[in-house]
Amino acid sequence: MIQTTGLTKTYRRRRPPAVLDLTFDARPGVVTALLGAEGAGKTTAVRLMVELERGLGITLFGGRTYRSLRRPEREVGVLLPTGTAAMGHPGQRAYCHLRMLAASIGVPARRADELLEQTRLAGIADHRLRSFSPGMSRRLGLAAALLGSPGTLLLDTPTDGLSPRSAEWFHSFVRSFAVAGGTVLVTTRTPEEAAAVADRVITLDQGRLASDQPAGEFRRARLHHEVSVRGPQMARLADLLTGQGGEVRPDGTTGIAVTGIGRTEIGELAYRHGILLHELADRVVDRPAQHLALPTTSGRSGHVQLQAQPQAPHQGSYQGAHPSPLHTPPQPPAHTPHQATHQAHHPAAHPDSPSDSPPAQAEPQAQPQLQSQSRGPDHQRGRRHARISAIDTDPLSTEHLMADWPQTPEQRVPDEQRGSAGEPAHPELFHEHTVSAAHSVGAAHPIGSEHHSHHSHYSEHQPDTTVTHPAPGPDHLSE
Amino acid sequence: MRVLAYELRRLRSLRSTWLIVSAVVCCDVAAAVVLTRQLPAGPLSTTEAVRAVTALVPLLPLPFAALGAGALGALSYRHEVRYPGLAASRVTLLRRLWLLVGKLVVLAPVALALAVLTLTLDALAVRLALPTGVTLGVFDDPVLRPELFVDGAPVGPARSLAAFVLLVVVSGWAGLLFTAVVRSAVAGLLALLAVPVLLEPAAAMALSRLGDSWPLWAQELMPFRFSLGRFGLGSGLGSRLGLASSARPGPVAGLAPAGVAELLVTLAVPGVVLLLGCLLAQLRRRAL
Repeated sequence: MIQTTGLTKTYRRRRPPAVLDLTFDARPGVVTALLGAEGAGKTTAVRLMVELERGLGITLFGGRTYRSLRRPEREVGVLLPTGTAAMGHPGQRAYCHLRMLAASIGVPARRADELLEQTRLAGIADHRLRSFSPGMSRRLGLAAALLGSPGTLLLDTPTDGLSPRSAEWFHSFVRSFAVAGGTVLVTTRTPEEAAAVADRVITLDQGRLASDQPAGEFRRARLHHEVSVRGPQMARLADLLTGQGGEVRPDGTTGIAVTGIGRTEIGELAYRHGILLHELADRVVDRPAQHLALPTTSGRSGHVQLQAQPQAPHQGSYQGAHPSPLHTPPQPPAHTPHQATHQAHHPAAHPDSPSDSPPAQAEPQAQPQLQSQSRGPDHQRGRRHARISAIDTDPLSTEHLMADWPQTPEQRVPDEQRGSAGEPAHPELFHEHTVSAAHSVGAAHPIGSEHHSHHSHYSEHQPDTTVTHPAPGPDHLSE
Repeated sequence: MRVLAYELRRLRSLRSTWLIVSAVVCCDVAAAVVLTRQLPAGPLSTTEAVRAVTALVPLLPLPFAALGAGALGALSYRHEVRYPGLAASRVTLLRRLWLLVGKLVVLAPVALALAVLTLTLDALAVRLALPTGVTLGVFDDPVLRPELFVDGAPVGPARSLAAFVLLVVVSGWAGLLFTAVVRSAVAGLLALLAVPVLLEPAAAMALSRLGDSWPLWAQELMPFRFSLGRFGLGSGLGSRLGLASSARPGPVAGLAPAGVAELLVTLAVPGVVLLLGCLLAQLRRRAL
């Protein structure tokens, strides 16, 4: 049980506080996520909780502050991001590092070896930490936090910069820890991750508590359902759907994303007008914010874009490599926490969907700007991020950025999967396709987790039933 | 106990520990061999023997072994600054002070072992590399002459060697504590190197005010007096400070006990200041 009351921290006088009067509880058996954009005060809040920073406010772990705990490592496991990539001295071997920490908290060395097994590092335990990838380092940090068998975990951005596979491992670990009765507080930047991992989501906006919601409510309020449709005659279908009152935005070269009309209605409409569909699927995205599409050319947008797109250098290079031939690429839909936070504040001000056809002449200006802004004052962070991403050369790691740009069919596979639940569900199960994927996340996603595809030649016979389309081969998985 | 176990594991598991120890041993043996080769012909004097065995290089403020111990101490603290394994559990002042004390306690026997190891290997190297003209004199077969190492023997090197061992241990501690103040290993080591440069003339001045001079066993370990005298620079300075080179046979027996106490106080003041600085720095911080 973590009870936090009134955390406040101001780094410099006459500057806005990094954290202001943050009050929340994290209960045992529940994963609590602290969601916020870059600079929203998540890390400061966690450091204040363990009193690594001087500030105001009190945090109680089971009724006592962290420094008054008799043996803090045995009660609270803390994983803080380090300035360096490695979790310890780069010249040290992993098992030495862990045994050393075990000795410092009075735990037998056997426990360190057990944890290496549990975190799947046993095979590489005698390698030096300098050769560890971010995912391995983070797992080692988790093992260090778990050395004293604590009942409470405090994890600061544990999945930041990790490949989806490592992130998924972290998620499942955190969930099982909470199921076993532990208290978990995780900070995260992406609403998708918060929805995937947490039972309760606390949203921070510039150091203030924006909302404290159970996960279901959070998903309803913050995540957005749409239908992704792909096929060769999308322009005609888009006209029909707009006529029916739906909201359509282009989604890649051969796809559209439809809001306001159900999947079955779209299927029927396409069938009646003889339009061939290649894909028809529900998906969940973070709620797009209207004002993000507009001010990319105005001076004010730089701030918003900067905070929202830490991985923008990737995006810029991707745009350069694949200019969109048919459509003007839409603004990246708001997968970004910052935009979503604004949305939560002014839900009425931002209708759900951006305009169907963004002004074509705005785009060429918008894209270079996006790229240059990303190297603005936050360049150091961005560079670190880029380095980490370069280590994790997994196409999935940037898939949420690429999701709405032109894609090859292979790249579309993870996109489709992400769409189903907003989280990378077990890649190894994916060739059994979406039924199993939906099942695996079903508990966490009561809404919109069914993910079926609809083929027009099937719907000839059974217009209302949803049929899974043939599974992509395992060769898609190896990427 | 936990802190000691942690520090021992930490020291053992790092490659830099073993690299520093082996580098110190190599440099020491090489310097001992070179110094032995340069010895003038004739029987070996006590001063020359001590300098060769401790491998004192002219103008290097500290012997290699002391430098190595200081480097071990500096790196030991820097590890905690740069790679805090469990940063959150080092927030309370008491835990940090205990860790500091544990590090000092572990460092002392390590430095002691380093000093003894270098002394042994250097003695071996001197014996093997002795040029033809030089005879060992009184040091011939020292095992059979235990009176050489009895305290107070007129030509015995016992005090000098004990002072050397003490110097190595204190250097290790000083490296650790300087790094604890400035939080950077390089700056800590530089501060450690600056200490003898400043302290030697200051202490000599203080002693000359009192009408004393350095005892012989301390003179034998001093880097600058020796080298300045050798390069002909030290005579003016030395005579002004009442430390003429002619005083070298030195009043070892004539040195009053009060003089030793004064000397110790002079040397202890910087140590106390350093410890207080560490304490104040830890009071202000949240991490080591």
